[in-house]
Amino acid sequence: MANESGQVYGLTILSPIVEDQRLDIDHTTQLRWYLSTLPRDNTSPFAKVSSTYLARLVVLDDVVFVGKPACEEHLKSRYLIFETNFDGDLDTYLRRMASEAGEFVDAVWKHCVGYPGAGNSDAFVAYMKKCQLQTTFFFADVNDRTVKDTLRALQTQSALTHFIERNQGKPPAEIQKLFGVFLERLKSAPAPLPGGRADEKSATEDRPHD
Amino acid sequence: MIRTDNTKLDVSDIQGFALKGYNFPHARFLLLQLLHCKDAQSFLLKLLPDITTGERWDEKPLTTLNIAFAQQGLVKLELPLATLLSFPLEFQQGMKARREILYDTGKNDPANWDPVWQDERVHVWLAVYAQGLLALEDTCARILQTMDHTHGAKLLQAQDACSIYLNNQPTSYEHFGYRDGFGNPDFKGAERDCVPGQGKLATDGSWEALATGEFLLGYADEAGELPVAPIPHLLARNGTFMVYRKMHQNVAAFRNYLEDKGRSYPGGKEKLAAKFVGRWRDGTPVELSPEREDKSIVADDNRNTNFIYGNDLGGLRCPIGAHIRRANPRDAFGFNGQLINRRRIMRRGLPYGQYVPDGQPVNDQDERGIIFMALNASLFRQFEFVQQQWIEYGNDAHQGNDKDLLTGNHAGKSRFVVQGTADAKNPAFICAQLPNFVELRGGDYFFMPSLTALQMIASGTVDPR
Repeated sequence: MANESGQVYGLTILSPIVEDQRLDIDHTTQLRWYLSTLPRDNTSPFAKVSSTYLARLVVLDDVVFVGKPACEEHLKSRYLIFETNFDGDLDTYLRRMASEAGEFVDAVWKHCVGYPGAGNSDAFVAYMKKCQLQTTFFFADVNDRTVKDTLRALQTQSALTHFIERNQGKPPAEIQKLFGVFLERLKSAPAPLPGGRADEKSATEDRPHD
Repeated sequence: MIRTDNTKLDVSDIQGFALKGYNFPHARFLLLQLLHCKDAQSFLLKLLPDITTGERWDEKPLTTLNIAFAQQGLVKLELPLATLLSFPLEFQQGMKARREILYDTGKNDPANWDPVWQDERVHVWLAVYAQGLLALEDTCARILQTMDHTHGAKLLQAQDACSIYLNNQPTSYEHFGYRDGFGNPDFKGAERDCVPGQGKLATDGSWEALATGEFLLGYADEAGELPVAPIPHLLARNGTFMVYRKMHQNVAAFRNYLEDKGRSYPGGKEKLAAKFVGRWRDGTPVELSPEREDKSIVADDNRNTNFIYGNDLGGLRCPIGAHIRRANPRDAFGFNGQLINRRRIMRRGLPYGQYVPDGQPVNDQDERGIIFMALNASLFRQFEFVQQQWIEYGNDAHQGNDKDLLTGNHAGKSRFVVQGTADAKNPAFICAQLPNFVELRGGDYFFMPSLTALQMIASGTVDPR
């Protein structure tokens, strides 16, 4: 099915950017500057929309095709490209964008033609769908699980590896006991946050005497 | 014209170092700074007749002589700007500028390198290999005399290297106690016999020589293209690129670590040492003999590097992160090994510093390690890729952020996993808190020209048009 790969939805949006000759600093430049200030770690606005695997915003000036015999083709407008892979269905995601990261969404899309604002959820969803293109490529690291499950799995893998490092070679009965303690701690460990750094320690690693 | 069915190479035009390992026990690498261009050219012209080519020897010479240039050396020799700018980017930048890409940070940062490598003064690498020390001194003395006479260059440092002698015989062992030097790639046109396992895999499981252009400029490479090379073609043809890295080895740290972990590893210390590398210390491939050393395999060139990983994708014999499996994954990534064919490097390293036998006290402050040299047509596609993606990272092999145990820049974070089973004789085992067993002390990228190119450089007749 188009745009979907297992549980993952791939969204590609192309929004024309407003051209206004009266401005000292045009919309494209303002948008570029704003995007360059955005954090890309767990404080990213997309970390709030927690089902996001990957999100990417690109300002597209032009794509020039120069052919032979001499011909030149240009885009009719400058564009904001938005690509994202996330869990679940499109409507839910778009509504979450509007409600959980509304301020950020407005700050970006206010520079685009016909943008109704995140305040009106229905209008926002309709606008984004109008700008949508079919997605045929997905972020390679995306698997068939939700973002939450994947983060949990990575946390478990990391914690288990540390457990093995610390306890390999001990007598089996002792390992079993320690493993029980480890499992309890792992179960109650807070879920890792999306957008965290790869080498971030998990909750169970901070205790040296497990 | 691209020779796709490679017949004979013009071995009299190719420097011998690029075509074969000399197997001489002694070497001295003279690191030179060139002085005034005209004087430097005179110096080179005087060296030219003595440069060792790839021609077959009736009788082994007492010494050999080879030469290679760093970018700043070619600048000093006033090669035309168009030529200088046509060298591959990574060569122009030099190894020091590429340190972020290569993970030469922290302990391996240039700030910790030998002073001679810190400020891009090394213009020329002049390598003298010798069968004996007297011959070595003799040849080096004559070179230095020529240098003085022409005022062409200044000696910045003489780096000695020497095979490790055991029972008064030179061997191919290195300081951690492993026999080294297996598995150098076979390529078309090189005159030595093809050894199974050294080339590329054919569809029927046999081994073939790799395309010449993976190791020499001016010939078709594995993609059927001429590798990126400087202009004019005559300057590049029959030349190659070399990376030189002085790698200090922390032998005490390695022995202590192996001793410590070997106590808890059920297979014992020697088996664990074998798992680290993918070969037992005597050179037996773990993939062929996972439980013990086997002299008969080591001694047989038809067997000692003749193996694949296709029946061991789980790493139960040779761990997935073992050194030789990282450096050359063979068929481990599928596609009949084709993903590996453009990532091979030709190694020419030699140990330096005094060898201390196992069991005797050894001090990691001492100068001891390996002068690692590798040849390839593309530093970027071959050496740099292997270094960055397979040695300092594990993603392609599904080993996450784990680095190569032996040479990785661990910085306290990495681990090595021995894959295993529930069988107590081949258990899974994790080696954590890896210290840096190896530290980089300097090096650079060099261009090793053909004899024709060397003549052009020495006579100032390089013409890019």
